[in-house]
Amino acid sequence: MSAETDVRPARPFLSPAKVRLWFDRLLVFVLSVGAWYVVANTILDPFWISSPELVAERLWRITLNGDLWWHSSATVWQALLGLALGLVVGFGFGLLLARYPRLAEALDPYIMGLYSLPRIALAPLFILWFGIGLLSKVMMAFSFVVFIFLLNTMQGLKEVDRDHIDLMRSMRASPAFIARRVQLPAMLPWLFAAARISVGLALIGSVLGELLGANRGLGWYVEHASGRLDTTGVFAGLTALMIIAVLMNQAVNLLERWLTPAK
Amino acid sequence: MERATSAPQTPGESPAACAPPRVKVVGVSKTFPTPDGGVARVIENVDLTLAEGEFLSIVGPSGCGKSTMLRLISGLTPVSEGRIVVAGREVTEPPPGVGFMFQRDTLLPWATVSENISIALELNGTPPAARPARIAELLKLLGLERYADYRPSAISGGMRQRAALGRLLAYGPELYLMDEPFGALDAMTKMILGRELLRIWSQDAKSVVFVTHDIEEAVGLSDRVIVMEGPPGRIKSEYRIDLPRPRDFRAVRLLPEFRDLCERIWGDIGRHSEAE
Repeated sequence: MSAETDVRPARPFLSPAKVRLWFDRLLVFVLSVGAWYVVANTILDPFWISSPELVAERLWRITLNGDLWWHSSATVWQALLGLALGLVVGFGFGLLLARYPRLAEALDPYIMGLYSLPRIALAPLFILWFGIGLLSKVMMAFSFVVFIFLLNTMQGLKEVDRDHIDLMRSMRASPAFIARRVQLPAMLPWLFAAARISVGLALIGSVLGELLGANRGLGWYVEHASGRLDTTGVFAGLTALMIIAVLMNQAVNLLERWLTPAK
Repeated sequence: MERATSAPQTPGESPAACAPPRVKVVGVSKTFPTPDGGVARVIENVDLTLAEGEFLSIVGPSGCGKSTMLRLISGLTPVSEGRIVVAGREVTEPPPGVGFMFQRDTLLPWATVSENISIALELNGTPPAARPARIAELLKLLGLERYADYRPSAISGGMRQRAALGRLLAYGPELYLMDEPFGALDAMTKMILGRELLRIWSQDAKSVVFVTHDIEEAVGLSDRVIVMEGPPGRIKSEYRIDLPRPRDFRAVRLLPEFRDLCERIWGDIGRHSEAE
């Protein structure tokens, strides 16, 4: 195919729309941090809400002394393990339930019941069962994300185009071939949707586990700071969490773009 | 053009007229359970035979069971009563050498035109090394060379249906089952694709069962047209189409015999509707 017959427009690395989007995002950042700065320096004592310059200074300091890495790596690692476990178990269990609809219908109310349990109420049990080490935080993150993967796997499998499957069956494709070439690619968007929701939830689970018993992690850092009425420390920990969540979400987006070609 | 009088079920250089039938449908009925616990009879006691190399169309009002008939022959849906034999083997699952084409293109949306065609080659056991040449050949045959690397969403409905036809041809079936393959296309595209189908078919003379609600399309393409009525789906009447071959899908419509056949078939379906 020659270049001139190709009518698809080339995608420039920085299109005007993209530049504008980043400008808008920057604007939101500047305005909100600016408002925080003004309030913290006029009507409210930084004791209550700290202030942007204090938080920035704290983040810089804990970056240099290694505290930030020490705490955030623990939180992220627990969240990632919980995510991976949730993906494997949720996906596997989802496939199983899709294969046996009768089992799925029998379990449906129980799954929904478990799904709506407040995890914070489970936390003491998790500590009892899994200790106050890594495992209890991983399981906490897992308990948040497993249902998302389970439900999206079942729904995604249900939404696969029947005609695509029939077409492959008419050409005598084996069930394994259909699973690999039709069902899995069709489900990828559902799995990525689940992953995008789960990134935030896994971090929440990881931090929640740390709040209840730990000696490390951003959750522990925030808890520890608030115990000493160190508002700046609380805000620094929360800011770090937000940045990590955004970065992890971006990683999922990149992975999605890499694995699923544009439609 | 002069009128051909020879037996129409052996068009082109199709071999022996005494060859066993490609498809034999004997006393087939199909029932489906309805949501309210009852039973819906969709096909009632249908007999039909498709000769080797024959082009058969099934027409009828929507809901008469013609698409179901095609799914039964393809083995995608099991029969409730009776039996279907394709190439000498009773159908219990999709038989080998049968290609299905739907009204919707059913191209995989995440795969390019080439990749979609390639899947059929993979499934019929074409070695990987031989696939690119075969794909290129089919793309050329169907005028799709420019669109090889496009995804279905980036090309028109007509191009998508061409690609679906390419996938069918790539699979290399002996029997084509086509369920209103041009039904969703505009009149002009429909004419062009019908003409290409006829051109391709006249070269390889495979057996075809073509379901459509377009009577002129059916008469223009076929050796024989079956009119179905229903539900429950039954064969109402059958027309032998002795129009000359090779046919020009457009020019053939100017023949008085063509008009006459269409009118008779229309009359058949019309009477059916009045009887309701």
